[in-house]
Amino acid sequence: MNAGRASTSIKDTLKELGVAPAMVRRTAIASYEAEMNVVMHARRATMTLRVTPARITIEVNDEGPGIADLALAMQEGYSTATAEMREMGFGAGMGLPNIRRNSDAFELHSDVGRGTDLSIGVDIH
Amino acid sequence: MITRGSDAGVPGQAVPPFTLADVRDVLDARVIACPAPGVTVAGVVAADLMSDVLVVHRPGAVLLTGLANVQAVRTAAIADLAAVVLVSGKLPTPDAALLAEEEHVPLLVTSLPMFEAAGTLFSALAAATGPAPTPQDDG
Repeated sequence: MNAGRASTSIKDTLKELGVAPAMVRRTAIASYEAEMNVVMHARRATMTLRVTPARITIEVNDEGPGIADLALAMQEGYSTATAEMREMGFGAGMGLPNIRRNSDAFELHSDVGRGTDLSIGVDIH
Repeated sequence: MITRGSDAGVPGQAVPPFTLADVRDVLDARVIACPAPGVTVAGVVAADLMSDVLVVHRPGAVLLTGLANVQAVRTAAIADLAAVVLVSGKLPTPDAALLAEEEHVPLLVTSLPMFEAAGTLFSALAAATGPAPTPQDDG
């Protein structure tokens, strides 16, 4: 039930700040995909939103299994999702590619057994 | 301004927008929640996988889906979609209905399966918006 609430909150904040709708939408979509990845795979995480006149940045830092092969994880269709995750409507292997597609800056670092750190940047035009 | 092909004798006549009320009527859908049936529909996205929905930027579109849970409603809210229409007579989970109310996402249910629902909406939208305008002849 709560999966997606953080991203909805981020979207509402950006709208209150007067960010243009197209940029709000891109950011919200990237955030939501990142949040769903955390819900499905990690034990816990923090999501931090920073907004400057030039850029929106979302940092997602999680504690979890980590990603063994980043290049493989970025491949569209590659998924480690379980059947339960797919029942939520996700886990088709499009999450990370979708995040990159909706961002202007994308950094992904991960350590197996520790967790994953993701930085998403959306430029404000 | 878009003109219908059948109104060729009246150039420049505006076409009424295709609305959620039209979606409801065309699909003979049951309304779970629809606070503003006059809202214009900008198109349709039909998918059961929410990441497939999020790839397509189509704000104002109706989401046709068989995913009757919270994530369909959340996806519609995140992606600025006009409504969620569940196909094959699927009823939303209580959480999904509650979230739709909280986020003001219109929620409808049609007994039509996905293929028929998508085809019906596609035809209705095409009939409503008319043929694409022909390029002007400079000669």
